Parts: sequence; structure tokens; C-alpha cells
Amino acid sequence: MTPAPLGPSPSRRQLFLGMLQVALSAFGGGLSAWSQRIVVEQRRWMTNESFLTGLTVARLFPGPNQINMAVYIGAYFRGLPGALAAIAGMLLLPFSLLMLVGFVYFQFHALPAVDRVLTGVVAAAAGMALSMGFKILDEYWKDPLALLLAALTFIGLQFLHLQLIPVVLVGGPIAMALYWPRQAKPKP
Amino acid sequence: MSGLDTFFQVIWTFLRLSLFSLGGGNTLLQEYHHLAVNRFHWITNSQFADLYALAEAAPGPSSMIVGLLGLGAGWPHGPLWGLGTGVAAEIAVLLPSTLVMVMAALSWSQLKDAPIRVAFERGLGPITLGILFSVGVTVLRTSDHHLPAYLVSLLVCALMLFTRISPLYFMVVAGLLGAVGIIQR
Repeated sequence: MTPAPLGPSPSRRQLFLGMLQVALSAFGGGLSAWSQRIVVEQRRWMTNESFLTGLTVARLFPGPNQINMAVYIGAYFRGLPGALAAIAGMLLLPFSLLMLVGFVYFQFHALPAVDRVLTGVVAAAAGMALSMGFKILDEYWKDPLALLLAALTFIGLQFLHLQLIPVVLVGGPIAMALYWPRQAKPKP
Repeated sequence: MSGLDTFFQVIWTFLRLSLFSLGGGNTLLQEYHHLAVNRFHWITNSQFADLYALAEAAPGPSSMIVGLLGLGAGWPHGPLWGLGTGVAAEIAVLLPSTLVMVMAALSWSQLKDAPIRVAFERGLGPITLGILFSVGVTVLRTSDHHLPAYLVSLLVCALMLFTRISPLYFMVVAGLLGAVGIIQR
């Protein structure tokens, strides 16, 4: 089977609507999978290869992964205005909903019944937070240097109570120097 | 402090943190906790735990917790200050990283084999790993204060790692456990 040809480049309006569709489809979760399905398969804006490149860049650079992916898609076609249109489309509905939830929370969280339910939900959410580190641990399991750097970072933040910004500003360049690719010897 | 002072304090706080959100944004949670609870007293410790849980439970990127923190910071000055500060907080935390990401999207092909890219990619991974473990411990200590709560957290952590069940179910079950008083603050 040959892949279907790509469609025309999306306009800013189409970028906004496409990301709105992604956000709506992903209301139960799986934002990255939905953006791939809609951007690559349904709307045929980019090839799967370009999409995966975008995902790598989105993970690499600072910022939330899914939002960075929207920025990548928007910027790829329409530069900064396209990126802003894509973010707006992706965030409009979930952010409005979250603000609404926040309003309800600050209005009613003092009610004992609400507080008791939240106490349980909070314990579950804490478990999710704890799993984040373990999830990427196996990528580094066989690399003692990486484990040492991770342990030092952990100790600095958790026991020495260092702030994140100095830790990243000092630890980042040191780690980058340690992992700088060695020059291959020129062939004679 | 007036509503306007808080508004600008929130914007400046998130603007300067934006570019330090490695590994998808969750690395900043510990810093958010430190600033919002201990340093600026926008919200209490247990409110932070609640807002984190709400942001995880709600659809959309969980990094939107920044909007809730802004809402909480502005809330004492009235709901409209809360809303305005919440929206401003989210824009502030996204703006710098978005600008960098746009430049990255437009220039990526030229950087493809540069040594700095390789070093950046491989070197920052371990730092991110250490930060994420620290974030997990901080959120755990903020959220749980009794043995049943810790047990639920550890169980959810294990289920997140070894099953593909949607975390929403864990939250519903844990919410019920809280409602009947098994999990307490």
C-alpha cells in the first residue's frame, strides 16, 4: 500500500480547528496519540516521519511535551502565528474547563464532604507523581554515570534544599560536558 | 499586597521558570510548591495537593496546574482577580518556552548532527531523572500524612508502572476511600 499524498498546508484557522479537535478527542487521555491520528492520518498535514521528529524536538526542549508538539506543528507550517493558533486550539477548552473546576474548588473546598473526597483523590495523584521518575528509570539503568548524576540532583534538591534553577544551571553544563560526543579519529 | 501586586508577582514568577521546565514540565512541580506555599503564601499546603490532583484528573495537559496556582493566588482579592491571574500565569509559563520551541522547529534540520545537540539530549536526561524523583517525593510528602494514604499512593504508583489502566479509575476509587474516611488528611 502506498501512503496517501499529503494534503495542502493548513492555514492558521485550520491549525486552530485541528488542535481543537485533538483536545476534544483526547478528553479521556492520550493526547499525543490523538494528535498523531488527526494530524498524520486524518488531515494528512505531515508525514509520520516529520511528526516523530517533532515529538523528539518537543520532548527535548523546555515546556510541556504536548503543548510543545502543538507549537512544532503550528510553527512548521505558519511560523510563530501558526504556533499561537495551534496552542490556542489545544488549550481553549481544557483550560476553560480547568478554570471552572478551580472556581468550584475555591468556592466549596471547605465543605467537609468535598474535602474528604479530595483527600482520597490527592493520595492517588501523589502515587502518579511518584511513578514519573520510575517510568524513565530503565532508560538509564545500565549507565552508572547517569545514575550518579540523577542521585546527586535528587540529594541536592531533596536533602540540601537547593533550588531548581541553580541546580539546572550548574548540573546541566557539567552533565553536557560529561556526555559531549567524543571526536571520531580522522581516517588516515 | 493588592491584587495588582500579586498579579505581577505571579507573572514574573512563571516567566522566569518557563525555560527550566525540562522533561515535559513536571520537573517544575517542586519549585511551584516551594514558591506558592512556602515563599509567597498564595495557597496552603493541602490546597496545593488538591490543585495538583485536580489538574491530573482534568482533561488536557496536566501542566495547566499553573493556571490553578494563579487562580489561587488571585482568589483572596476576588474571583475576577483569580481568573485574570490564572490566565496570566498560564500565558507567562508558556510564552518563553514557546518562543524557543518555534525557533527549534524552524532550525532543527541544521542542528541535527551538532555535538551540542547530542550532549544536550543525553546530558540533561539524568538531571531530569533526579528532578522527577525529587518531585515525586515532595508531592508525596505534601499529600499524604497517614499510613493508609501512603499505602494508596504506593499502590497507585505500582499500578501506573505495571498496568495500562487509566489513572482516572484510581482517582475515583481513592475518592471513595476518602469519602468513607479510610484515607484522611
